[in-house]
Order: sequence, then structure tokens, then C-alpha cells
Amino acid sequence: MRSWNPNRHARFFLLPYFALFLLFVVAPMVYGFVISLHKWYILAPHPTFIGFANYSAVLKDDLFRTAFWRTGYFVIMVVPLGNALSLLLAVGLNQNYRGATFYKVAYYLPVLTSVSVTAILWRWLYSTQFGLLNYYLGRVGGWSVNWLTSTSTAMPSIALLSIWWGAGGNMLIYLAGLKNVPRELLEAAEIDGASPLQRFRAVTWPLLKPTTLFCLVMSVIASSQVFGQTYILTGGGPYYSTLTVILYMYQQGFGLYQMGYASAVGYVLFAAVLVFTVLQFKLLAFRR
Amino acid sequence: MTLGAVVMLAPIVWMISTALKPESAVLSAVPHWIPKPATAENFVQLFTQAQDFPVFRWLLNSLFVSSSVTALVLLVASSAAYAFARMEFRGRELLFMAVVATMIIPSQITLIPVFLIVQKLGWFNSYFGLIVPGLAGGFGVFLLRQFFLSIPVELEEAAYMDGAGPLSIYWRVILPLGKPALAALAIFTFIGSWNDFAWPLIITNDIAMRTLPIGIMIFQGRYTTEFGVTMAAAAVCTVPVILAFLAFQKRITEGIAMTGLKG
Repeated sequence: MRSWNPNRHARFFLLPYFALFLLFVVAPMVYGFVISLHKWYILAPHPTFIGFANYSAVLKDDLFRTAFWRTGYFVIMVVPLGNALSLLLAVGLNQNYRGATFYKVAYYLPVLTSVSVTAILWRWLYSTQFGLLNYYLGRVGGWSVNWLTSTSTAMPSIALLSIWWGAGGNMLIYLAGLKNVPRELLEAAEIDGASPLQRFRAVTWPLLKPTTLFCLVMSVIASSQVFGQTYILTGGGPYYSTLTVILYMYQQGFGLYQMGYASAVGYVLFAAVLVFTVLQFKLLAFRR
Repeated sequence: MTLGAVVMLAPIVWMISTALKPESAVLSAVPHWIPKPATAENFVQLFTQAQDFPVFRWLLNSLFVSSSVTALVLLVASSAAYAFARMEFRGRELLFMAVVATMIIPSQITLIPVFLIVQKLGWFNSYFGLIVPGLAGGFGVFLLRQFFLSIPVELEEAAYMDGAGPLSIYWRVILPLGKPALAALAIFTFIGSWNDFAWPLIITNDIAMRTLPIGIMIFQGRYTTEFGVTMAAAAVCTVPVILAFLAFQKRITEGIAMTGLKG
């Protein structure tokens, strides 16, 4: 239908976005890799090219290894539990009863808070002496937990608040996926005498698989980047028990100004997440 | 469901409840959910420490940055999405694939190179530095292109017959018809920008250039045990977003259903 010169006009409409895209998305990916091949101390006059020396140093770095495994520990807690919760809430909301909108909003509200609000709020809830959580735990069983100040509970505590913070986001995506499960199929199964649990397993779950894969992949990518929570609440402590990879990258880059080393940390994490994502696709491979 | 809602909402209710209590009532042995007497003194204290903690300035910074990012994203993403949805040019599919693929790359990993680039542009500690890198995300282009494809072309053809050029078709036909998607994108972008943490943390260090999330973090570092006033700070950072969300609640859920993306 077009008789204007489409190429010329397309250029005009694309230019603003693609200038930004090149400068702040594409260039940084290449530039970041270049930086990682240098000893790039920000206060020194010139970066020195050192090949892959940063990478071999990162892989041998005990603190990086700690950060890597602590991040993995966090991901393993947050992704399965968080997705199970999101799915449970979505299935509950999908029944279309009165007040469903209210619940939807209630579950989604934590997603709307900034990570610093979440962190500050949970520091108060986790307060050993005056916190709400220890008060009710004390009432129930006389327990008192050193949430953020003990090496064994600090990371699970960070995971708990992260699940609270993020569950509503995936819930909405699962809810959108559930809308695509044909009601007739569920009704047919019901007529055949299937229990709600059987209906979920035989009808809903298989049809929901693409949504589940999407949510799992995105959750792994997002949670492996955990930064704000540990930066604000623990600074990586106690005894490095909550040191996460991006936090370590931040400390190297913006604390010690070792930009080359910090970039290498980022790329190693990126490679690990990429491999893990491909594995997820392979293991859960279901093309429709 | 009700139990779940109570558990999910309790922390936010407790935040507001604590913010409304006098400091003497905050650290009571038995928690009271309803503050009595309720007081605004924490908010007054929060906004009257302008020397060390310019909370009002942070609020204005956040409003300015988030509004600018939102307006500019709408403009830049919609024009690119229009080209992708309606024009034919070489490399279109490839280019679009590239935009979508980069959405999956975690932004934290390019934090350092983006920082060095922005610093070289001389935008450290500036509104440019806070705003411009936030315009490059692919989500808006993706969302709007999907929506524009669903708009029937007949209206554009009619406008074209009447002699309208591509710019006026974009402005007078596409944008008005794209309103539902633009509204969803606007609210996502605003909330995302308002809550952003890592980027404003590294690109500013002047206390007057901080945005609210960074500001309240610095603030609570000084007032570690005064939970009344820190909860007031958290509430100031949260309530505007909750209000915006409630106003656009339907649009947001529709927007997510539209793409099956982002949360």
C-alpha cells in the first residue's frame, strides 16, 4: 500500500531508538568485554591489556567462588519456592469469584515497592529484639531467630523477603497463561469424574508448560542478579554468607575501582547464567 | 486466599502503621497494629532534615526522572515500533530479533561499561545520566509493535488516500489507536524507573542528585534504630507508586496479558 520511500521513512522513525540501543545496549556488551581484558584501574592513566588474566584470576579467587555458590544457594531457594507460590496464587485467583480483583492487587503490591523499601521494611520485621516476626515466633513456640545476623539464617532470610517481593509478578504471568486453558477441557474432565488435583495435573499443567518455562528462565536470570537486598541489608555478611556475585562485582568495580576485574566477574556470571538457561530449555524442552 | 492476602499485605500495613506512631510507641513489647494516637511527627521530622537529607529534593528528582523517562520512552519506542509494524525495509526481522534478544541480557552485567560510557559523556551526577540510558530497553518497542500489528490498516489507508504522510499517520492514527498499550507501557516504565536502584546508585554521588530509593537507603543508614521515621521514609517512596498502580490497575493486568511478559 505504501508508495512513499519506505526505507527513508523507516530510517527516520528508527533512528532515535537505535542510536540509544547502539550506545547503551550493544556498545556496552562489546566494551565490557574489552574492559575485562585489561587491567583497568580507574585512577591509573592507561589501562593495560592483559588478555584473559582477569578471567583466570576470577576463577581462582576464593571470594568469587564463595559469591558464586552463595548466589546459587539463593537462586535454588527463590526460584522453585517463588514459582510454586506464584502458581498457587494464580490457580486460586483463576476461579473467578467475587473479590478476585482485590486479592490480585493485594498479592501484587509488594512488586510495586523499590528494593530499598523492601529491604528497609524487612530489616524492621527481622529485628531480633523488637521485630514482628520474632514476636509472633516467641508467642507460638518461644523461638527467637537471628535472621540477618547469623551465617546460617542470613541467606534464607534474604530469600524469604525476595520471594515476598517478587511472587506477584510471576503470578500475573501464570494467570495470563491459565486464561489460555480452555474451560471446555476442564469441564469435560470434571464430567468424567476427575478430582480438582487430577484436572490440574492432566489438563492445566501440560498446557501451562510454556508459561512455566518462561517464568522459570526469567526468574533464574533475575535472581542470579540479586544485589540491592544484600547490598542494603548485610553488605555480604556475616562472614560472606550473603556475598552475591553482583555485589562482589560492585565492590570490585566501585569500591576498589578495578573495572577490568569487575567486568570479568560480570561476564563469568553471564556465561554461567547462559549455560544454565540453555540447560533449562534442553531439560524442559517442550515446543508447545 | 484470605490468609495469603493477609500475609502478603501485613508487611506493608505494618510499615504504614509504624510510620504513624510516635517513636516511643514503636518499640513496644507487644505490637499494636492500629497506631493510637496516630501522629504525623515522623513525616515532619523526615522533611525537616533538609541539610543532611534533602528528602523533598529526592522526591522531586524521582518525579522528574521517572516522568521524563516515561514520556521519552513512549515517544522513542512508539516511533521505532511503528516502523517495525508498518514499514518494509531491509534487515527488519533481524533488527527486531536483536532488540528482543537483548531484553534477556541482564542489565546488571553491563553496569560497568554503561557507567564508563556515561561518565565519558560527562553525565555523571546529572539528570542526563539518570534518564538517557533508561530509554534504550527493548521492552517498549516489543510491546508496542505487537499491539500496532493488531490495529487494522484500513484507517491508515483512508488517511493515506486523504494525503497524509507517514508522520501524520503516526501521530494522528497510530498513537491514538495505540492508547491501551501506551498506557500500559507508561505505567510499567514509570514504576520501573521510580524503583530503580543499582543505576542511580552508581551514576550519582552528590546527595542533592539522589533519587528517593537511594536517598531513603542513606537515610536509614543514619537512623538504624528509629524505625518510625525510616518507615515514614519507606512510605513516602511507596505510596505514590501504589496510587498510580490503583489508578491504572486494569491497564497493567491487560498489558501483561497482552505480551505474557514482564512482571
